[in-house]
Parts: sequence; C-alpha cells; structure tokens
Amino acid sequence: MKALLDIQNLDGPGVAALRRLILTLADSKRMMGIRYSDWLLGAPSIEAGIAISSMAQDEWGHARLLYAMLKDVDVEPLAIEHERPAEEYTSVGALDSAFEHWAGIVAAMTVVDEALSVALLGFSRGRYEAARTRVPKMLAEEEFHASLAKAWYRRIAGSSSEARGLLRDSTKELLPPVLAWLGADDAAAKVMVVEGVTDSSQSMTEVYRARLRDLTALVEVDINQAQPDGGWDEDRARGPGWPDEDAIERARGDRNRALLVE
Amino acid sequence: MPTLTTTDRGLDKGLPGRISTHKSGGRDLWTGPLKELPADRTKAIWAALDEVLDPELPISLVELGLIYDVELIDEIARVQVTFTSTACPCIEFIRDDLIDRLEIEPWINKVEIIEVWDPPWTTERVTSAGRAKLGQLGVGV
Repeated sequence: MKALLDIQNLDGPGVAALRRLILTLADSKRMMGIRYSDWLLGAPSIEAGIAISSMAQDEWGHARLLYAMLKDVDVEPLAIEHERPAEEYTSVGALDSAFEHWAGIVAAMTVVDEALSVALLGFSRGRYEAARTRVPKMLAEEEFHASLAKAWYRRIAGSSSEARGLLRDSTKELLPPVLAWLGADDAAAKVMVVEGVTDSSQSMTEVYRARLRDLTALVEVDINQAQPDGGWDEDRARGPGWPDEDAIERARGDRNRALLVE
Repeated sequence: MPTLTTTDRGLDKGLPGRISTHKSGGRDLWTGPLKELPADRTKAIWAALDEVLDPELPISLVELGLIYDVELIDEIARVQVTFTSTACPCIEFIRDDLIDRLEIEPWINKVEIIEVWDPPWTTERVTSAGRAKLGQLGVGV
C-alpha cells in the first residue's frame, strides 16, 4: 500500500490541484443528486420513484463527505456549499440542465454516475487518507445505482424504437462532456497523478469505456468512438457553461436559508 | 451535568409489544448515572452506549454495529461511530443521543464523537443479539 499523503508537503500547485479535485467530485455528486431529485414525482412507476429518491439521498450524502474534505486544504465547506453562484460550480457539464424525459435520466444514471464512480475509485486507491477511508462506503452504495441503471438501460433499449432512440440520443449527448471531465489531462490532473492521489485520466477513461461498452452497444453507440468535448476550462475543472440557476438555488438551499442550522 | 428530561405525551401507547419507546435514543429506558465509579470505565461506556437505541430500529447502536471504538482519556470520552449510509437522515439525532447518554455519567466530563467510514458498515456488523431482536420483529439481516 502506498504511503499516506502528507498535505503539508504539497506545494502551492499541489494543494490547489487537490482542492480542485475534491471540489469537482463534490459538486458533481451534488448535481447528480439534484438531477435524480428532479424525477422523484415523475418516474414511470412508484418503485422507480422511490429508488431514484434513495439515489438522490445517497448522492447528497457523498457530496457532504466530499465537501468536508475541503477542510484539509483550508477551505470552509459551509460557504462553498451554500453561498456560491452557479458560475463557480465545477460539476461535470452533463448535469447542467434537467433531463426532459425518463430515458434521459436513465442515460445519466448510467453514463454520468458511472463516470463519477470510476473517478471515485481512482481517488479511493490513492494516497489521500480521507479518500481511502470514506470513499469505499460511497462506492458500496453506488453498486445499487449501477444495478438499477443497467436494468433500466436494458429495459428501454429493448422496448420501442422511439424509446430506444431517446436513450441513444441522450447517451450520445452525455458522453462528450463526461469524457472531457473524466479524461482531463491538464496540469492539475497530472499533479494529482504524480502525487499518487488518483489514477491517470487515461486509465480511468479506459476503465470507464470498458464498463459501459456492452451497454451502450444496445442502442448502437460505440463508446470507443465517442470523443470528449472541447473548451476545457482548467481553472474550473469542467467544460463551458454552468448549471441552471434553479438547480443551484436548490443546491444552495436558498428557499430555506433562514433555517440553516449547520 | 445536563438535566435529563422526558415528557410522557402518551406517544408510546399502542406500540407493538416488542417496541417499548418512541423517545429519541430510547431515553426513557436509560439507566445511570452509575452509583459508583466503575472499575473498568471503557467497559462502562460500552454498556451505556448499549442503552442508546437506533432512531429507526428498536435495537441499540452497539447491537447495530455502529460503534467502532471507545476510549476515555482525562475524562474525555471519544466514540468512533459510523452510520448505515452516507446520507443517513438520523446522523444528528444519533450524535445527540450518544452525547446525552454519556454526559449523564459524572466521571465523563466531555464527549467527542468521531465520524468514521472505514470499514464501511454492512449488515454483517449487526451483533448476534441485534439479529435476534430484529428477527423477532420480522426483520431479516
């Protein structure tokens, strides 16, 4: 097992890279939860609604644990969670907008949530102690998400051509921003690999493609041919744009701000 | 020392026979403070924590396997606790119940709750006593 990371020994760029990594994982988890929560009352069956409610809760639990890690890099999580504007979110661009149909959220729970799990897996195997000790529980919970995602993906892929088409279009739309996020190989990402904090973007992308190859083939999408979006913003650790304002108001808890008791 | 107050509002009337309380952490069932200083204070902490019920299941947090470790140093009790899920909605209730139960004891000056996630909790951590109680309620683990 690799020796634990001593954050005191990281230089300025190293601390900034760790801060960026934690934040983009936390923000993406929070937005994944928001997107699941969009469907609490709109799922095609009450069982699916209950399942996606539970998944939304899980994602927010993961976000809570990840935001808490920011204390290790001298960032106060409370302000990060409750006071930032949408433009400062570093979540994967695939989650910026609500999904218009059930096939869209099924594609997201497959294509996006799996990418988050692959990124967390790399993080959990690195030298950062908080990730080693907290992320395995998240990954254990994610196994249920992946199971439900695969079941629904297969179900829709095997149904009508119209439904399969919606799933295909959503998959094609989500893959480029996800591949850009997971495969980012900029200076900060390289620092994290050199410091042994996470796996290389190349290896994570290979794992990701392998995990989804057979599934996306069901809707005639060859994941090996999918390409990442351009326009990567190194400072924000994401592609262009930002989450819609309604989602951020919910993520920040604006409506119930007076009740914030943390 | 904090004052333990319980108000009987009749909430427990009509409960199934095997469930004895609705009060947070099973507060009306708590014993203590101990009349004599315990010889083995760590063991006494475990026993006290074994009185604190999970908010959702009528077995103790110890029986549920959520307490990973306890230690007492200079009258400060440190309790390592995990939760069944990362988004457990009862985290704050559980923390308060743990602290309130231990602070009843005059030989404990302060309680520190340390949230841990390693190893991840699974149903394998439920004790045999906990399994037996859950089994009586028709809950299989």
